Amino acid sequence: MSRKGFMPGCSLPSYSPIGIEKTVKYLKSHYPELSGIQKCCGKPTKALGQVDKFEERFGSLLADIKACEVDEMIVACQSCMNVLKDSEEFKTTSLWALMPKLGLPKEVIGKAKNSDVVFSIHDSCSVRGMSDIHDGIRWILNELGYKTMEPEKTRETTRCCGFGGMIVPVNQELAEKVMKRRVSDFPTEHVVTYCAACRQSITLGDGKAWHILDLIWGDVVMKGSEPPEDTLSSPVKAWVNRYKSKGAIKKAING
Amino acid sequence: MKHNDVVNSIAKDIAENCQGAYDAYCQSTCPMHTDAIGYVNLIGEGKGEEALLKIREKLFLPGTLGRICAHPCESECKRNTEYKQPISIAMLKRYATDKFDDPKLWDLTKKTSTGKKVAIIGAGPAGAQASIELAREGHKVTIFEKLNVVGGMMHVGIPEYRLPRNIINHEYTYLEKLGVEIKLGVEIGKDIKFNELTDGYDAVIVANGAHKGNKIPTKGDDATGITTAAEYLREIALTHNSEIAGKSVLVIGGGDVAMDCARSSFRVGASTVNLVSLEKEKDLPASHHEQVGAKEEDVIFNCGYGTTEIISEDGKVTGVKLVECERIFDDSGNFNPSYTEKTLEISCDTIVFATGQIVEDATEGIVKQGRGGRYEKNNDTMETSVKNVFVAGDVAGSNTVIEAMALGRKAGLSVDRYLKGESLIEGRDFVKEGSFKTKLDLPLPEGHKDELRLEGEMLDGKIRKVTFKECDAGLTDDNALKEAQRCFKCECKKCLPECIMLTEYSEYPGDLFAKFLETGNFDPLVAYSCNMCNQCTLVCPEEFDFAKFFGAIRKDMVKANSGNSPLKGHNAINIHQKLGFSKLFTTKNKGGK
Ligand SMILES: Cc1cc2nc3c(=O)[nH]c(=O)nc-3n(C[C@H](O)[C@H](O)[C@H](O)COP(=O)(O)OP(=O)(O)OC[C@H]3O[C@@H](n4cnc5c(N)ncnc54)[C@H](O)[C@@H]3O)c2cc1C
Ligand code: SF4
Ligand code: SF4
Ligand code: SF4
Repeated sequence: MSRKGFMPGCSLPSYSPIGIEKTVKYLKSHYPELSGIQKCCGKPTKALGQVDKFEERFGSLLADIKACEVDEMIVACQSCMNVLKDSEEFKTTSLWALMPKLGLPKEVIGKAKNSDVVFSIHDSCSVRGMSDIHDGIRWILNELGYKTMEPEKTRETTRCCGFGGMIVPVNQELAEKVMKRRVSDFPTEHVVTYCAACRQSITLGDGKAWHILDLIWGDVVMKGSEPPEDTLSSPVKAWVNRYKSKGAIKKAING
Repeated sequence: MKHNDVVNSIAKDIAENCQGAYDAYCQSTCPMHTDAIGYVNLIGEGKGEEALLKIREKLFLPGTLGRICAHPCESECKRNTEYKQPISIAMLKRYATDKFDDPKLWDLTKKTSTGKKVAIIGAGPAGAQASIELAREGHKVTIFEKLNVVGGMMHVGIPEYRLPRNIINHEYTYLEKLGVEIKLGVEIGKDIKFNELTDGYDAVIVANGAHKGNKIPTKGDDATGITTAAEYLREIALTHNSEIAGKSVLVIGGGDVAMDCARSSFRVGASTVNLVSLEKEKDLPASHHEQVGAKEEDVIFNCGYGTTEIISEDGKVTGVKLVECERIFDDSGNFNPSYTEKTLEISCDTIVFATGQIVEDATEGIVKQGRGGRYEKNNDTMETSVKNVFVAGDVAGSNTVIEAMALGRKAGLSVDRYLKGESLIEGRDFVKEGSFKTKLDLPLPEGHKDELRLEGEMLDGKIRKVTFKECDAGLTDDNALKEAQRCFKCECKKCLPECIMLTEYSEYPGDLFAKFLETGNFDPLVAYSCNMCNQCTLVCPEEFDFAKFFGAIRKDMVKANSGNSPLKGHNAINIHQKLGFSKLFTTKNKGGK
């Protein structure tokens, strides 16, 4: 059997250490030999146009993957997916496309069938062409028992959440407009994303958003539920979380 | 800054091939460039008043044009070139006007007075439009009109059943509100000498139209009972009567004017109306709509015949002799009809020649005339060889109201420059002062269907043929909405609704990139405001890859800034990235045994 590795990316571990921990455990139950890596893929550096720095940083990630002797990387971040997917050394698989193949743990199947919430699905624009990811997300939501609706611009025509391209630190005003516009696309109040940065953008655009891991591993969301805290907007909380996630991965993989 | 090949080649492609600047087929074809695509779609969105305001940006008589405009836009409408079912662009204009026009909405802004005086001969559409352009620029304008009514041929040519006169009169009050003085019943050349105008005013625009009927010399044409379209229709327009018309009228001609004469004949008492044209029926120059209208009113069509002789008894017309026409033009395309042996005789007591109108000189020979009496002038500027004299409208070559207006506007623009002592040419795009062919080349919208054109409700032919009441009731609310929603929205800028960034930083991408190529500079803030989301590329017919361009130009900017983004805000990302790769926050665990 080929050796699997998992990496959650950056924004997700900064958002939800619990989600990371549970996901690693879940994967490990299917792949006892699972490797776990936490490191950035270097996408922000690449987006800024820093060619040399990107090569260096991405190279250090590749070295980690190599050191773990991984044949197939499982990624939970769509940017990681795009940065890694062309590597010839290993295969890259999205967690969201993989879950339908592995199946969800029994205890979460159907857990939300009594929820009164209808989720609008937000697809990440960076994976417009990857329909297996879109299908996987819908499969997961259906397995959990949530009712869903599609905005007009969805799947291969989905719209940007406003976060991409490193525009937020230099043109916040514009980014906010893009965020608000995307929020106005949704047919229902509750939104589910599969990117922690998208979740943050929708929150900043005055939407109510959950990450799909919140729905898989967390409490059932009802109409009155408040969306999770926007930890990504607080550098301190985000780095503390990132640190916690690192520990969680270490522990879940090694002991 | 030196740029890499990806940057240069994408920028060049977008600058050269972006369709964002190209007008819709309808708009570029309209000699006045009325924003047809704009108002049609506003009507389709239920925004009638906004539609009306859009129309009024270019046209002071939308209710008139909505009824009688020759609507060249509809011929070029994508729904016509594709399916022969053009959007009822003109009729929608009438709808918006009938429903939403209100003098309170009229834009009467004008610049402060310049103290310059302009005289205009003729209160037709050309003279009126010229007066508007000039009044808005602060010049004092006086129109001299021979008739006691305004509107020119619209008032004394176009029949009332197509265009109720109260509409022209009401819409012309705009001129007064703008401060244009109209002197009715004053004929230049008779009541006032032409040189009194050239001496007494800073500039003169001659826009006296083509009001003299043209009779084709025919054997027997000295009999009584013969007239021309111009005279015939003028009398009918002003009196609802014709002294000359008998019971059986025969009209010679195949154009819209011939249709007007034929259809008007029933309304002044004729019981039989024949139409004779040299053209075969399928080649008639008259618009399809008018042909159908005439037939519904029982006009008898005799197409493909030349008139060889007018027969008379005791000097009074009794009929015509016709011979079948085989071809109108010879091999080299010249007018040179050839006939067969087949002949035909039709009896009638009245003959109307609807074979063209000629310009009568209003300048007492001062401005030189050419073919059809049209004045000689500079086609771009409308200036004549006579100092401070310009021409406009049918005397300068137009054939329809909307063309006459475009020439009126052109003359107005020239006169304004002339009065300000500016060049008549510099900085003007003459192509865009009239009808032109757009470079737009868009695929048809996905999932579109061929759908039938919706038109106004017509009174029944038998009822309407004996009354001057308007015969087309226009579009109902429902039909107007449906008709407007058939529009294909033929303009590009497809990327703009998708990209807030491109909308904020450019008119359309082509202009942003043309400026970049011109100056070599690109604002880093714009380059770093792209979300790299590719939404633009998804909808762009040229599939321009903006994200790739921005990615590539960022590399150049970083290179030129010793490895860092030129924008301060990005320092945060640098720190973020350093931490993201630091030992403190990273881990690798091989797992397994
Ligand atoms: C029967 C008929 C039907 C038509 N139907 C249509 C149609 O449906 N749609 C369309 O778009 N076009 C139509 N046309 C064409 C259209 O009417 C003309 O192209 C347009 O009116 C020309 O505008 P103008 O301002 O150049 O001249 P005109 O409208 O002819 O106005 C010129 C004015 O100058 C005045 N004038 C003349 N000589 C003197 C003088 N010496 N002193 C003072 N004033 C003078 C005249 O009385 C007249 O009022 C039609 C024409 C005719 C004849
Ligand atoms: S379909 Fe609409 S936009 Fe296109 S040419 Fe016709 S009226 Fe204009
Ligand atoms: S979609 Fe935008 S970039 Fe593409 S051709 Fe049209 S206007 Fe130009
Ligand atoms: S890729 Fe850039 S230019 Fe294109 S829509 Fe997204 S933000 Fe706009």
